[in-house]
Amino acid sequence: MEYLVSAKFYYLVLISSSLISLYVALNIGGNDLANAMGTSVGSGALTLKKALFLSMIFNFLGAVLAGGHVTNTIRKGIIDPMLFLNTPERLVLGMLASLLAAGIWIHLASYYGLPVSTTHSIVGAVVGFGVLAVGPKAINWKGLLNVVLSWILSPVAGAIVGGGIYWIVRRQILRQERAFRAAKLYAPLLFSLVLWVVSFSVFFEGLKTINLKLSLWETWGISLGVAFIGFLFGFLFIHIKERDKTSWFSSGDSAYVDKLFGYLQIITACYVAFAHGSNDVANAVGPFAAIYSTLKTGSVKMEVEVQIWMLGLGGLAIGSGLISLGLNVMETIGKKITEVTKVRGFCAEFGAATTILVCSRLGLPISTTHVLVGSVIGVGFMRGMSALDMRVILNIVSSWFITLPFTMILSLIIYWFFNILV
Amino acid sequence: MRTKFMFLFFKSPFENLKRHAEVVVSCSEMFEEAVKAYIKGDFDRFETLTDKVAELESKADGIKRNIRGHMPKGVLMPVDKYQFFMYLREQDKVLDAIEESLFWLSYRRWRIEEEFVEELEFMVKLTKKAIDYLSPMMDLALEYFKTGLREPRTKLKSVIRDIRQVEHEVDLLEREFIKKVFQTSTDPIYVFYATRLIETISSITDHAQNASDMMRAMIAE
Repeated sequence: MEYLVSAKFYYLVLISSSLISLYVALNIGGNDLANAMGTSVGSGALTLKKALFLSMIFNFLGAVLAGGHVTNTIRKGIIDPMLFLNTPERLVLGMLASLLAAGIWIHLASYYGLPVSTTHSIVGAVVGFGVLAVGPKAINWKGLLNVVLSWILSPVAGAIVGGGIYWIVRRQILRQERAFRAAKLYAPLLFSLVLWVVSFSVFFEGLKTINLKLSLWETWGISLGVAFIGFLFGFLFIHIKERDKTSWFSSGDSAYVDKLFGYLQIITACYVAFAHGSNDVANAVGPFAAIYSTLKTGSVKMEVEVQIWMLGLGGLAIGSGLISLGLNVMETIGKKITEVTKVRGFCAEFGAATTILVCSRLGLPISTTHVLVGSVIGVGFMRGMSALDMRVILNIVSSWFITLPFTMILSLIIYWFFNILV
Repeated sequence: MRTKFMFLFFKSPFENLKRHAEVVVSCSEMFEEAVKAYIKGDFDRFETLTDKVAELESKADGIKRNIRGHMPKGVLMPVDKYQFFMYLREQDKVLDAIEESLFWLSYRRWRIEEEFVEELEFMVKLTKKAIDYLSPMMDLALEYFKTGLREPRTKLKSVIRDIRQVEHEVDLLEREFIKKVFQTSTDPIYVFYATRLIETISSITDHAQNASDMMRAMIAE
């Protein structure tokens, strides 16, 4: 306990953990968020500058408005903090060790170009220190099983939702005699569907971060209202645009559908950035939140809720990572992905963002990139892509098997080393 | 870059398939011109054009090998891979048959009998028409695979029907032509030379039709 009251220890841990969190957040922005926005740039729906601007804003909003659930899972859902009731400093050191282990692994992976997930790194690291500090009983096995299951199921869910949406779009729009007429009807519906999913998941059970409590009926009412306004907006937008005879509305079916889905893909790009912020901010902020709460109260009861400023700073750091480290990634992806048309990009992004957001709502830390990969494969399965390399599935699975043991062992070693030092 | 998202995407083989089709189609004009030069007795011009066709055939083979050699097992495509390769094979055979026809002509410098000139020219004209259809067929197929829209698919089906029709016309002409050769010539070498030439030229449209049949299978819903 005396460690916690020592000002030197307090500031040393707080500063070092915030710096490592910042590093992890920058890396998330430079890799995962860049990947998430890559499909929009690749299809030509967004320019690089617009993609950067929108992803900064919506990633931040996602982190602040819906990032609390997964953050809570990382800070107290994988290991039981109550087991450290008499030794809170060990929890603080453990979380710091986890952050450092994840940071080192992410740094190495970035250097060697290994396709690993930040989420898996941080979860593996937390489990590693938990096992050494208390033993296997420290792990919330049920919670961990849910997380691991979500890693397997989330890409599959992304594939089902993305592929399903593409199937509907192909059947109801692309295969119609007059595709542009069908697109005119379905575009506002798809727009309102996106708004409904976002607003429902954001307002479900209210917003803890701003102390807003809502009943289920209120959530339904608000989300349906938002969706209806979205539908009207979409409907009016198309009709106003249609009056302009020189616009793309007077062009052929192909150009019409392409343009319309270009607009829809801007919406899904924002949706992806929002969903990304809601899930991945936890990887950087989760352990820091546990450290902060323990240091502030001197107790492991996690009485201090995840602070809005933590999520906000996490969101900002991820956005900064995108600008500083991710620009190159986005440029490369934008040039390489010629297979992603606006229709396919919309479907893949919708599938990925919906899955990520639902997982965020359930407090499940998942790999956003893996979900996006699953979603793109789902669209490909519906014969949507010219050429997809299915060996990527092997790559995803191998990333689990490499990351988890490595970060577990590394976190264990760092924790052991910290204990000798302190 | 840590998470290589773009490793999911494989270079589309359709781009190269289009390049291959362009090479095949670029030979149709030369084929027609070469046969006309042969009929006129301008053998130098004929040899030059035949050499050009042989050169382009070699180029097309290179594209074909590139497509086949860069198609890993783990690639997922919007069409069946077997059908894709069958299509490529037939498209390539169109050019092989053009080359074979010109090579066959080049083996001996005959004077084409007056009564056969009209049939031969008409047959070559129809063959050129069938080969030229490969270009819009490929453009429409690419648009369809890219957008998934119904309109290019409908147009594509119409082009496939047109190729089938031309092939049927060439088949009828081939039969009549061979009959005429047998009825009017008594020189066995000439009969062999002419019938083999007619059959080889006719095989060009056969392969064009086979390619279009594969295309039809590829766009089947």
